Amino acid sequence: MSPLIREPSDVSRRRFLQVMGASMALATASGCHWDSEEILPFQRRPEGRIPGTTRRFATALECSGIAASLLVTSYDGRPIKIEGNPLHPLDRGAASARSQASVLDLYDPDHSRGLVQSFEGAHYPRTWKEFDPWFVGRMASSREKQGAGLRILAEPSSSLALAALRARFAELYPKARWIEYEPCSRRNEIEGAQLAFGQALRVQPRLEAANTLLCLDADLLGEHPAALAHARAWAVRREPNQPSLLRAWVVESSLSLTGAAADQRLALRHEQVLPFVLALEARLRGEKGDDGFGRFLELVAAELLEQRGHALVVAGPRQPAAVHALVHRINATLGNVGKTLVYIEEPRPPASGSIGELVREMEAGAVETLVVLGGNPVYDAPCELEFRRALRKVALSLHLSHYRDETSRACTWHLPRAHALESWGDAASFDGTRCTLQPLIEPIFERRTPLELVAALCGEKRNARELVRAAVAPSASEAQWTRILHDGFVEGSASEPVTAALVEFARPAPAPRAFEKELRNGELELVFAPDRRLYDGRSANNSWLQETPDSITKMTWGNAAIFAAETAAALGVEDATLVTLRVGGRELEVAATVLPGQARGSVTLHLGYGRSAAGQVGGLAQENVETVGFDAYRLRESGAPDSVSGLTVVPSGKRFELARTTDPAVTDSIGRKEMEGRVEELLREKKLSEYREDPHAEHESAHTPPLVSLWQKTDSEGARWGMAIDLSSCIGCNACSVACQAENNVPVVGREQVIRGREMHWIRIDRYFTGPESAPHVRFQPLTCQQCEAAPCEEVCPVAATMHSAEGLNDMVYNRCVGTRYCANNCPFKVRRFNYFNYHKAIEAEGAEVQRMLYNPEVTIRHRGVMEKCTFCVQRIQAAKIHAKNEGRALRDGEIVPACAQTCPTQAIVFGDLSDPQSVVSRRHADPRGYALLAELNIGPRNAYLAKITNPHPALEEHDG
Amino acid sequence: MTASATTQAHLEEPYARPKLVEGAEDFGAVTQRVCGVLERPKPPRAWYIGLAISSSLTLLLFTMVVYLIATGVGVWGNNSPAFWGWGIVNFVFWVGIAHAGTLISAILFLLRQKWRTSINRAAEAMTLFAVCCAGLYPAIHVGRIWVAYWLFPFPNQMQMWPNFRSPLLWDVFAVSTYATVSALFWFMGLVPDLATLRDRSTTRLKQVIYGFFALGWRGSARHWQRFERAYLLLAALATPLVLSVHSVVSFDFAVSQVSGWHTTIFPPYFVAGAIFSGFAMVVTVMVPARELFGLKELVTIRHLENMNKVILATGSMVGLAYSTEFFIAWYGGNPYERFAFMNRAFGPYAWAYWIMIFCNVVAPQFFWSKKIRTSPWLMVGVAILVNVGMWFERFVIIVTSLARTYLPSNWGYFKPTWVDICTFAGTIGLFFTLFLLFCRFLPMVAIAEVKGVLPAAHAHPEHPKGGHDHG
Repeated sequence: MSPLIREPSDVSRRRFLQVMGASMALATASGCHWDSEEILPFQRRPEGRIPGTTRRFATALECSGIAASLLVTSYDGRPIKIEGNPLHPLDRGAASARSQASVLDLYDPDHSRGLVQSFEGAHYPRTWKEFDPWFVGRMASSREKQGAGLRILAEPSSSLALAALRARFAELYPKARWIEYEPCSRRNEIEGAQLAFGQALRVQPRLEAANTLLCLDADLLGEHPAALAHARAWAVRREPNQPSLLRAWVVESSLSLTGAAADQRLALRHEQVLPFVLALEARLRGEKGDDGFGRFLELVAAELLEQRGHALVVAGPRQPAAVHALVHRINATLGNVGKTLVYIEEPRPPASGSIGELVREMEAGAVETLVVLGGNPVYDAPCELEFRRALRKVALSLHLSHYRDETSRACTWHLPRAHALESWGDAASFDGTRCTLQPLIEPIFERRTPLELVAALCGEKRNARELVRAAVAPSASEAQWTRILHDGFVEGSASEPVTAALVEFARPAPAPRAFEKELRNGELELVFAPDRRLYDGRSANNSWLQETPDSITKMTWGNAAIFAAETAAALGVEDATLVTLRVGGRELEVAATVLPGQARGSVTLHLGYGRSAAGQVGGLAQENVETVGFDAYRLRESGAPDSVSGLTVVPSGKRFELARTTDPAVTDSIGRKEMEGRVEELLREKKLSEYREDPHAEHESAHTPPLVSLWQKTDSEGARWGMAIDLSSCIGCNACSVACQAENNVPVVGREQVIRGREMHWIRIDRYFTGPESAPHVRFQPLTCQQCEAAPCEEVCPVAATMHSAEGLNDMVYNRCVGTRYCANNCPFKVRRFNYFNYHKAIEAEGAEVQRMLYNPEVTIRHRGVMEKCTFCVQRIQAAKIHAKNEGRALRDGEIVPACAQTCPTQAIVFGDLSDPQSVVSRRHADPRGYALLAELNIGPRNAYLAKITNPHPALEEHDG
Repeated sequence: MTASATTQAHLEEPYARPKLVEGAEDFGAVTQRVCGVLERPKPPRAWYIGLAISSSLTLLLFTMVVYLIATGVGVWGNNSPAFWGWGIVNFVFWVGIAHAGTLISAILFLLRQKWRTSINRAAEAMTLFAVCCAGLYPAIHVGRIWVAYWLFPFPNQMQMWPNFRSPLLWDVFAVSTYATVSALFWFMGLVPDLATLRDRSTTRLKQVIYGFFALGWRGSARHWQRFERAYLLLAALATPLVLSVHSVVSFDFAVSQVSGWHTTIFPPYFVAGAIFSGFAMVVTVMVPARELFGLKELVTIRHLENMNKVILATGSMVGLAYSTEFFIAWYGGNPYERFAFMNRAFGPYAWAYWIMIFCNVVAPQFFWSKKIRTSPWLMVGVAILVNVGMWFERFVIIVTSLARTYLPSNWGYFKPTWVDICTFAGTIGLFFTLFLLFCRFLPMVAIAEVKGVLPAAHAHPEHPKGGHDHG
């Protein structure tokens, strides 16, 4: 039976409204988003607002209860670019690819624009005006029953405002329950701390203080909630001219960013990490014996002991609580606590009940009303729960969601959720720093936040802004509050470190399993990991992220089960074919890929794909939009959310094309050999010991005959813009790529076009594997236009559409471009991108006004048939020059920051004037590590790469790359 | 039959030069035979079938071009790194074919190779049609066809010149000059024959049309004197073009810095290859044409054999060029170049490379055998192989070099789309459509010139050659 709105016809709705008219007054629970003076018509220009200039606001994004502090650029009232908040103690100006890409969601036509009521299989658009009075009435009656049968299923949140309302909710509805669920949680970490300390603590790694880092399936640089801060610390501690360099040891089943950056890496099955930690602890106690983990364990144990107090051991979120507890004990034993890591209290309130219990209640018919705040449980809840089926037993289910996704379509009501950029709110960073969310734009389609919905539930009359202010800074003066909003966070609000005593806990049961000599199908393990781009699937409709090549696999538009070469060979699995995964009585057909560095017998499948109701990008079954990738959740049970053993793989041999940006077909022996040879030359590397011996030692193959040019070298006037990229720092995180996409209106081309090799990224990150398949050495190299001084592209353009600027930039004149593509052929770096089609067709269409708001007005949108490429963000250069000129001064070094350099969490990219010998970029060019790519072609690249310095353990050096 | 007749004559009189034309001994017979093709009320059935197929393909070509322009170059298989694909492959292929005509007309004329007279007209026509096919590609392969005219230097409000450093611009000049001179040369040679046709025409329409293009030719001695002078001048003008056009086309590659393109051997190697492919195309087309229109006595086995000898010679040159390239790639010590060539022969495109080697180096060697060299259908087989091989040569040069350039992360693999295939099939259709129409409406053999090489022309040295014969 449908609630109250019995028939969806207008007449009865009107009748209903008449009946409920009295409660209209309560319907205005959500108030205005702006300070009232801001929404006055511009008869008088508001102070500080100049049409056509950008303004920047600090706000935040919350993901899994952790805030990312952001600085958002707004152009004429519309946010167009997300950057990290430079003031924030953790993020310091950097933002992850995912945070940056979220601006695209704001204007996504699939981003929900209205309420939908589903009734007997039909769907009816509704408005808040219709919804509010009815909902208020409904809640009033629920309150009379003390909330019996009312359940809230929410994503974890660190919002104080929401916590306050939640407390209020508990008072008003004592019999109701509030359940938190999300597929990729920090549950193991919290349980591990409970086990070790008897209380929920959060580890704050301090990489900057460590000399030795051991990551146990922990991707500190990529997946960790504070990855940006770690990445920055990493870069600092890998600067080769300091007395002691950080050495990283990584044990993991599938290559992560940290694993790729590590000096020493051991590929180990996920389930073998616990035996490894047990063996490690034994070693640290001085016990010896053959534990099957070889020299790696022996050496890492020795080094950890040697670096007592300067070592750091971290366990990853997919390792069981026991591993975390053991790691806490190891860190304590080594005296690392308080030095390389501190503990803070886990700020989240404990959830009341699990999703499993909720589903049982739903099945039993005990849930009358279910309010789902965000999340997408129909898609991502453990598969054996069959959430969708349970949902049918709930009379009234409401889903507040950004998209009309799988859950929304299964609920009786879909309520549009406001984007973070149109929301008031608060959230805590990983270190506990209190961040504020402020709207940059009035909700475009009357969307609401969970906070507002819960406020309505509680009959709260204050608007969201007041709620946030009351929760975050109740006693702040107006000036202080303005300051908080300006900064985007409350200064000094990071949680204080706590000291905690270890408690005894039982030695975890599993005995170290011997390494099987034979790979047996049916005894493989399947690891579920959040995707590096889509996370748990929430970003599946974000085309920027879909098209961002995965750092390791270089795959776009989809996922694939990752096999080690040895495993694949044993099972008869080939790269880019379909295989069936069978585990726990369930099966799923997925694409397979073979990747170096994958643990033998371990298969990794990333979550977040195979959406059936993501939208026009990520898949929409209803409108026959093909889904992207394969849905790993269908194999994921609540008992084994991280990894599951007993996997059987059935290869089908059917080809499945994977949209990879790096040619995987380099399978021929001459190609492979040549590639490995070239990599040494193109991505130079030195071991620390060699570097210290002679930093100036020339690279072996760097000798070229004297270079003579046909062309006269013209002296540039004024600045000579240049860039330097430190390969020691780059971790391949893709933040630069998405930053560039947002800044420069880089189009998305789609899966088919990527397969054809027509992706448009202006900055790409080349990834190479060298060395043995089982223990590969990974190298990253971000590639922008090198702005060659004798640019090969310029010489061959018949219409002079690409020319040199006086400041040495290789300018691309889109208007003049005819599209012969000769320039791209002649570019040795292949950084030029061609518009093979009109990739902006979608925004030319009628009704795409909202999508058009996304674009950076400073950058031309390129027509089909023209070439485009990195400009060193010439619009930023010009803006800075104008700004300096207006102030009557010279440009300062570091004043111009291209988008890629701005967001780089490791500050690997530096930009500046090469004619100023004191500029950072000049100094980097002069660095003994500096070299130009393909300098022997005499093209004079304006980019310098700084050779990577690795720090392998001396005893293992010969095994490394 | 004819082959044995020639051989027989040769055996009987070993020191005499074999005759250039068989059967038709007098001027009137030559005129009759050539004009007869056009004056037949109906062409042979095969002509209709051929035209039906080729004009359908032409229609397909226009459809593909419209689709391409309406949608974008992306309908082709071009990608990054292979920004050029079949478009440029086909362009170079057709430009190469366009070589034979002018070579036969101009260079052989200057070298007094009289045997050329029987084939030069058809070869020149082929040149023009091939240039049409070739010229289409660079025009449609650009991203913005509607501004392709910016490649020409013309005064404009932007005050912009094209970039004279770009080989692509040189290409524009080279190909357009070549097309103009070839057309002019061909048309000039046609004038006396058009007059003949005019005078023989029975319908008013034909008289008017042929008459218009005959430019008032009356065959006076003064006409002939000026005609011959002009023909000689144009031949002299066209001769360097034969060498220049493909040299300049090769600059597109040689001047760039793509390994596998950047080699100094390209100009002579491209010219040899072009003559090779052009002659192969003439053989491919002329053997069926002489069969179909009964021109075996004018286009004799000797002509064909001579062409096959040229094919053998240029094919060997091309083979030499291939090995030289490899030697230099190794000897030059440039690792990128060395890899480019190793990759061609043993990389993912090895199949294309070995097709090329077989067709271009191995196949022409069959022409050492006189039997094959003089049997019309066997030589067509070889000539077709050569055509295929020369297409693959351009494919190998362009695509395999681009697919794997400096940074291995850019390496890719080019796959054509159906539009690529249909467009190429379409240009083949266009070529044959034009050729078949030419066969039907214009004299396929240069009547006046053939008469000049008849024994009759030399029997009366006081007569200006062939001058009195029309009407």
